[in-house]
Amino acid sequence: MKRLTALTLAAALALGLTACGGEEKGPTGGEEITVRYGMSSAWDSLMPYNSPSGSNYTRIICDKIYDRLAYVHADGSLDPRGAVSWESAGGGMAVTFHLDEDAAFHDGTPVTARHWADTIALMTDPDCPALGRSVFSVLAGTDENGAAIETEPLGAEAVDEYTLRLTFKTPTTPEDFLLDRNREFYVLPTHLLEGVDPAEVMDLALWEAPVGSGPCKFVEEIPGSQLVLEVNEDYQLGSPDFDKLVVTVMDKSNLLPSLISGDLDYYTFGGNLAAEDAQTAADGGIDVVEGTVPNTFYELMLNCETIPSAQIRRAIDLALDKETLCLQSTQGLGEPTATDVTPGTAYTCDLTWARDVEEAKALLEEGGYAGESYTLACTSNRAGLAALMQQELAEVDITLTVETVDSAALFAGMSEGKYDMAIASHTPGATPLWFTGSRLTPSNNIFHIADLTPYTALVEEIRGAADQTARQTALDELQALLAAERPFIPLWFGRTLHAQSPTIDNIDYPSASFSNENIWEWRMKEA
Amino acid sequence: MGQYIRRRLVTAIPVFFGITILVFLMLNLAQGTVADLMGEGTGASDGDRATLEAALGLDQPLPVRYLSWLGGLLRGDLGTSYLTGREVGKLIAQRVGPSLLLTGTGVVLAVALAIPLGMLAAWKPRSGWDRLASGLSLISFGVPGFFLCLAGIFLFSVTLGWLPANGMYTAGRYAGLGDLLAHLILPAGVVCLSSLGELVKQTRNACLETMGEDYIITARAKGLGDLAIMTRHVLRGAFVPVLTTILSHIPHILGGSVVVEQIFGWPGMGSLLFSGISDRDYPVVMGVTVVIALAVLCTNLLLDLIYGLADPRVRYGKG
Repeated sequence: MKRLTALTLAAALALGLTACGGEEKGPTGGEEITVRYGMSSAWDSLMPYNSPSGSNYTRIICDKIYDRLAYVHADGSLDPRGAVSWESAGGGMAVTFHLDEDAAFHDGTPVTARHWADTIALMTDPDCPALGRSVFSVLAGTDENGAAIETEPLGAEAVDEYTLRLTFKTPTTPEDFLLDRNREFYVLPTHLLEGVDPAEVMDLALWEAPVGSGPCKFVEEIPGSQLVLEVNEDYQLGSPDFDKLVVTVMDKSNLLPSLISGDLDYYTFGGNLAAEDAQTAADGGIDVVEGTVPNTFYELMLNCETIPSAQIRRAIDLALDKETLCLQSTQGLGEPTATDVTPGTAYTCDLTWARDVEEAKALLEEGGYAGESYTLACTSNRAGLAALMQQELAEVDITLTVETVDSAALFAGMSEGKYDMAIASHTPGATPLWFTGSRLTPSNNIFHIADLTPYTALVEEIRGAADQTARQTALDELQALLAAERPFIPLWFGRTLHAQSPTIDNIDYPSASFSNENIWEWRMKEA
Repeated sequence: MGQYIRRRLVTAIPVFFGITILVFLMLNLAQGTVADLMGEGTGASDGDRATLEAALGLDQPLPVRYLSWLGGLLRGDLGTSYLTGREVGKLIAQRVGPSLLLTGTGVVLAVALAIPLGMLAAWKPRSGWDRLASGLSLISFGVPGFFLCLAGIFLFSVTLGWLPANGMYTAGRYAGLGDLLAHLILPAGVVCLSSLGELVKQTRNACLETMGEDYIITARAKGLGDLAIMTRHVLRGAFVPVLTTILSHIPHILGGSVVVEQIFGWPGMGSLLFSGISDRDYPVVMGVTVVIALAVLCTNLLLDLIYGLADPRVRYGKG
């Protein structure tokens, strides 16, 4: 009898557990289609202005839940998103955005210019503990940290219900603003924040189940591990033909195997694939496409305080064999560079690079190099690169000690002046100041430049240039100064390979590197 | 025994706080904070960093931060994650279940396999069973966990297509026992294989040692069969050392398996700890440390109590 009871209970339990997960129905009544999306690192906050890391992982998730003004393609071209059009105003000091009147928050409230203006006003409020607020520092009425100045009008104004006007401190074209800042500007549901003390905005439970106006709606989350989103059927640009998007964080080493085995439909960013994995992907039936625009920029950061001589810094530049380093790192998918100006954009730079060991030795002598040993910091995945640099610099008798550390220790060490140099990579931008604009400032002098004045003057000149010709001229001057002083060494621009999704069509792979994905255009492939 | 338990609990208190101080110091002595990761290293201004440090209390001296964390702990508050802004207690509560399921299944499987295999290996040394036990132990001790994970994924997911390569559920939420089990087999198998070696070896050695005892020889002399000797006498004699090994896995079960969870994208304590460390999310690391430290201390106490129950020679003295 006892056995029978136990068996009955066990059967009931098993039935109950099975019943919990009965097939769910999609909005159209058919079987629910779920897209499985992989990431190798987690987002942090679902409140875009409360992200301590400000990482691309957080941006690519916020890109789904919240709307931005435009969609930025990898080649620098722009498409409408929250705004249908834009034009320069105020003699080049402002940009007027005409918002999409069909845009609405996930609770059905239409997105208006008031929401955009209120979002900016709230996030620049000095009492609001917004993180990464310096992105607003380009706007008139803000200080260098992006906090609103009480006595000045803020450069974000709702002209009418669907017209937003942003006013800048320096002349700014719509394209420059969007290419530089679009991924940092999101519209928040300020109608749900009325009466909330700005100091307490970040503590609201709203951000644990956020309401945005992006192409996906929040469903549930295991912070740092899994996020379930559902498609926003009412998104103004359309919606994909699946129902749910499940984002899972897993080790990088499992992304490609999961794609091959059919346990993932896509992984961010753009199915990035290392060249050495291309054959594995192809053998697993995954199509691999080569990226056409640079999506990584490698630099050797230098500490101008511990390497004070410009001649020595230039000697290091000349002693490095960037061709070999680039080949080792990108396996043919990159081009060595003498500048941080991104190739293929509207701006150019005539500077070229060539290795010259003899010239490097001469410069070292001229710079008074007395055989000091330098410390180079790198992350573990770049240890091979660092070893190559060590060998190349040994040819000019520079001794290098390599320290392998994690990212936080690397940037902290450079910031505190502990390391003499460090290898870093970044996602390049199409604007002339995408790299130098935020690094050659007194508030972020990571290269420890003793006198920033010549740099900041040229940066301001580029920002304030009346037209592209004047800007190009000032950019040439800045690049010439950088080449003479070498506070950092540009190494190469790299492209990537994209592992194509076996199940989804219409993915704009290259643009994912720029923290946006055209998810509303994704379509499931025919089985 | 009550007095013994009370005394052990009292001595565990300074050990527990010692562990928290040590971990807190080690975390904070490591170079870099979450503020150094801001803007992916170089894009954030000093003002941005200052706002973040003030918001997280990182601008306070180290002792103040520790005491503040300790004060919270004594009130039952494990603090707030630097990165997600969520309560650490809630984050841990979300992750304990999956870890218990994954690591618990793996360890239970390992125990279920290791005890009979260890007994068989001891019963018939140099036999096929013994060689199998040695082979499995070699793999378990010698092959790193991450390699076992990747080899498992390659074989069972990529090549054979039998098992899913990641996650806990196919569609992000519970969709039936079959779906959960399919996702569990591979990671739990790796946990099982990783734990198996120690358990098999411990069982085999303890059984071999017991088989040399006088009472086993007496049992044989009385004409008792091999099976009866092994199950009734040898296993009982080997119980304490085997149980010690089994119970020593309890903190592992609660703390999760960092490598397995990270590779398979399993939402457990191990992956939480991994991201906490790499992202300098100290409250999360401290929270997980508290759970693991408590589990270790409780397990040790439990072991001592079980020794007494299992072996009448053990007495709870005052010393």
